[in-house]
Amino acid sequence: MAEITTTVALPAQGEALLELGGVTAGYGAGLILRGVDLTVNRGEIVCLIGPNGAGKSTVLKTVSGLLTAKDGFVRFAGNDLNRLSPRERLGLGIVHVPQDRSLFPGMTVWENVEMGAFVLNDRALVRRRLEEVTERFPIVGRRRTSLAGSLSGGEQKQVELARSLMLDPALILLDEPSIGLDPKSRTAVFASIAQLTEDGRTVLLVEQNARSGLAVAHRGAVLEAGRVALTGAGSALLEDPEVGRLYLGASAAGKTPRLDAAAPAAAAP
Amino acid sequence: MHALIQAIILGILTGGVYALMASGQTLIFGIMKIVNLAQGALVVLGAYLTYTLFTTFGLDPFLSIVITTPLLFLVGVVVQRVLIRPLRGSDVAELSLLVTFAVALAIEGALSFAYGSTLTNVQPAYANSSWTVLGFQVSVVRFVAFVLSLVLLAALYFILQRTKFGRSVRATVQNPASAELLGVNASRVSAIGFGLGAATAAAAGSVFGMLNAFNPGSHYDLISRLLTVVVLGGLGSIGGSVIAALVMGVASSIVSAEAAPIWGDFTFFVVLLLVLLLRPRGLFGARVRGAL
Repeated sequence: MAEITTTVALPAQGEALLELGGVTAGYGAGLILRGVDLTVNRGEIVCLIGPNGAGKSTVLKTVSGLLTAKDGFVRFAGNDLNRLSPRERLGLGIVHVPQDRSLFPGMTVWENVEMGAFVLNDRALVRRRLEEVTERFPIVGRRRTSLAGSLSGGEQKQVELARSLMLDPALILLDEPSIGLDPKSRTAVFASIAQLTEDGRTVLLVEQNARSGLAVAHRGAVLEAGRVALTGAGSALLEDPEVGRLYLGASAAGKTPRLDAAAPAAAAP
Repeated sequence: MHALIQAIILGILTGGVYALMASGQTLIFGIMKIVNLAQGALVVLGAYLTYTLFTTFGLDPFLSIVITTPLLFLVGVVVQRVLIRPLRGSDVAELSLLVTFAVALAIEGALSFAYGSTLTNVQPAYANSSWTVLGFQVSVVRFVAFVLSLVLLAALYFILQRTKFGRSVRATVQNPASAELLGVNASRVSAIGFGLGAATAAAAGSVFGMLNAFNPGSHYDLISRLLTVVVLGGLGSIGGSVIAALVMGVASSIVSAEAAPIWGDFTFFVVLLLVLLLRPRGLFGARVRGAL
């Protein structure tokens, strides 16, 4: 098996790391993404919010390679991702933590975290990463011999985050990390996410729980019907009355979310 | 009492060989969720290869495993790559039943062409020797076969638990989507997994040929026993299928000794019916299903 190492030259902090332009994607003949434009700068947490079916998870899939963009470009540190396999994207340092429970329930916590470095063949490097990750996520050391399936939902999410660091990724794609968690675990997960950027990592986060997601993010983007309808600083979107009305549950619950007033550019017929 | 203990000894020794065959079947089911109906035919193929190596080259049947195992590993990889991998869509499980059954028939046909349909047997010099331990007869072939099966099962366990490849197999079994996201090549894992399953059939086949008279059609009987063992063990649990093989070996051996040999074979199917009626997920299914 060919050794995969992260050899890509990353841009400086604050400069564009991930760029999507006019991205369309979908399954079969149907399109879910209808021209997504989005830039994520290095060292940022960007939170994608939007109604169900807007294509939030699909954006992550076109970046990790689970789905290939039909049209438009997906660039990572200047590399055209559309031409790379999911495994090659992994090698560039793009890690995708899916929405569903993604641990291997019958394997120990330790084995699960080790699997995060599956594409690496350098044993010494893997051991060093295991130590770093254990230091950062003490649960990995504390429950190392427990079967992952025996952990609570919140603990499993922490182990998933720990596992995602094994490749020392430049970009982490997090799909609904707080889904199904109790409030205390949710707070812990968002605290862990906030820490991810401390050493220069970049996070693209999809979050149904828009308030918590935007609170932890530097910038937010509202996805609606397969397009980015609105972007802005996380705090600004939190205070935006329209976003509040539609996504933060301030009022008008159950109403079809539309953003025409706030973002004329997104006016879908 | 003496006869009963003798029957239990015989049953355990025989069960060990079934455990080896069934572990390969379970591995394939665990990884790909397909029931390999060719497992019995692969065992018979292994038996015939051993027969030829023994009668033509004088190679000891136990030693022939060194040749038959890698050979059938390759056969398994090719079968997976050429016939199983192209299957697509939601009915892969059903289609694979037909495909693996076709493989079984092809092997049966080729063996009939090459060897004819007369029953044959691999008979090394020590075939009929036995030891007497505390007044009980222990056949040399059966004992060595049992030990060999244990060693190979231990090797399989080691591969699955302690190697990186084994981890990728277990990961694929437990959460295929997640394994792929981490860079596991599921298609490669499936091909090697199928190869390993066929390799266990080869090893078991070398032994089977010494313990039983066989012909190319013997795989029908074998596969029905194997399916009994695998279902009893709770589809997808190797540990479960090993215990199930031992239980079945002992049960049918006791019935053979206490009633009549013909009822010994029948035991398998009576037990299968009872399990399906009373515990449809197998003896261990609910607890360890899908974890290998």
